[in-house]
Amino acid sequence: MSDERRRYLRQLTLSGWDQERLDKSCVLVAGVGGLGSASSLYLAAAGVGRLRLCDADRVEISDLNRQVLFSMSSLGKPKVEEAARRLAGLNPETSVEIFEERLTGENIDRLAAECDIIVDGMDNMEGRFVLNGYSVRKGIPYVYGAVHGWEGMAALIHPPETGCLSCLIPSIPPRPESPVPVAGFVPGAIGLIQAAEALKQLMNLGGALAGRLLIYDGRSMSFDLVAWGRNPGCPVCGSP
Amino acid sequence: MDQARSAMVIYLRAGSELRLKLNPDVDYYTRRVETAEGRTFRDILKDIGLDPAFVAFAYSEEKMFSLGGVPREGQSITLQPPVSGG
Repeated sequence: MSDERRRYLRQLTLSGWDQERLDKSCVLVAGVGGLGSASSLYLAAAGVGRLRLCDADRVEISDLNRQVLFSMSSLGKPKVEEAARRLAGLNPETSVEIFEERLTGENIDRLAAECDIIVDGMDNMEGRFVLNGYSVRKGIPYVYGAVHGWEGMAALIHPPETGCLSCLIPSIPPRPESPVPVAGFVPGAIGLIQAAEALKQLMNLGGALAGRLLIYDGRSMSFDLVAWGRNPGCPVCGSP
Repeated sequence: MDQARSAMVIYLRAGSELRLKLNPDVDYYTRRVETAEGRTFRDILKDIGLDPAFVAFAYSEEKMFSLGGVPREGQSITLQPPVSGG
C-alpha cells in the first residue's frame, strides 16, 4: 500500500469522498491568522492539492493564543513562511504557494487565479468584501468566517444559488478601535467548520451552509443556523 | 409611544459587544422589553437607547429579521453586531 493511500486511509472509505478531486483542487486561504491556521491545517491534512496562502503580517506573541500554526520560534517571521513550513511537515503532498501580501482589490485576481474556492481568514471587513466581490464576479464559492469574543460565524457563499456577503451586511462597518478580543478556540472551531464546508464543496458533496449562516457561541456552546437569501436589490449580486 | 396600541413584551438577545449595550436583565444575553404592538424593530431599539447602526443583522426563529420588521408578542430576536475578527 502506498504512503499516500495509508495517509488518507481513514477518509477514503467515507461515502462520497473523492480524494482524486481534492488532489486536483486549488484553495486560496486568505489570511493565515486564527481562522486560516485552523482551516489550512485541515485542508492540508485532507490532501488538497494546492493551497495558496496570503498574509502580509509577521507572527507576534499575542497571536499564539489562537494561531496554532505558529510557535515561539516563529516570532517576528512572516506568517505565510511559517505556515508553509508547518503545513509541509504535516503533508508534503500538498503544494503550498505563499504570498506575503495584503489582499486588496488590486491583487485579488492574481492571488485567486485558478483557485476553485476561497476560504476566509481575514481580520477586517474591507478584505472580506473584496473576497465577496471576486466570488460574485467569477462564480467561485467563498467560505465566509468571522469571530469576535466567544462567538464566530460561517457560511458558504455561492451566488446566484445563495446570497452574497453584501446581502447580509449591506455596508462596510467602521473598523473596531482596539484589537478584537477573541477566545483562542473560537477561530479554531470556525476554521474547522470552514475547512469542512470547503472540502465538501470541492468534492461536490454540497455545502450544508449554502444559504445558511452558522452562529457559534463558545460560552453557551450553542449553534444557531439562520437562513438568508439573495437580496434582489443587492449592489453586488442583485439583478442589474 | 402610541398609547392606543396594546402593550406587549418581546425579548431581545445579543452576544459579543452588543450584549453590554443591550443591558440584559433576564439572563446573560437577554433583555425583556415592554413595547406597543405594531412598533417596528428599529423604533423599539431606539426606544431602549440602542442605536440600530450597531446592529449588522438580526434573526428570529432561524430566519433573518429586518430592522423594519414588526415583532409580535413574546417574540425573541437575536441581534448581531458586525463581526470582523479572524
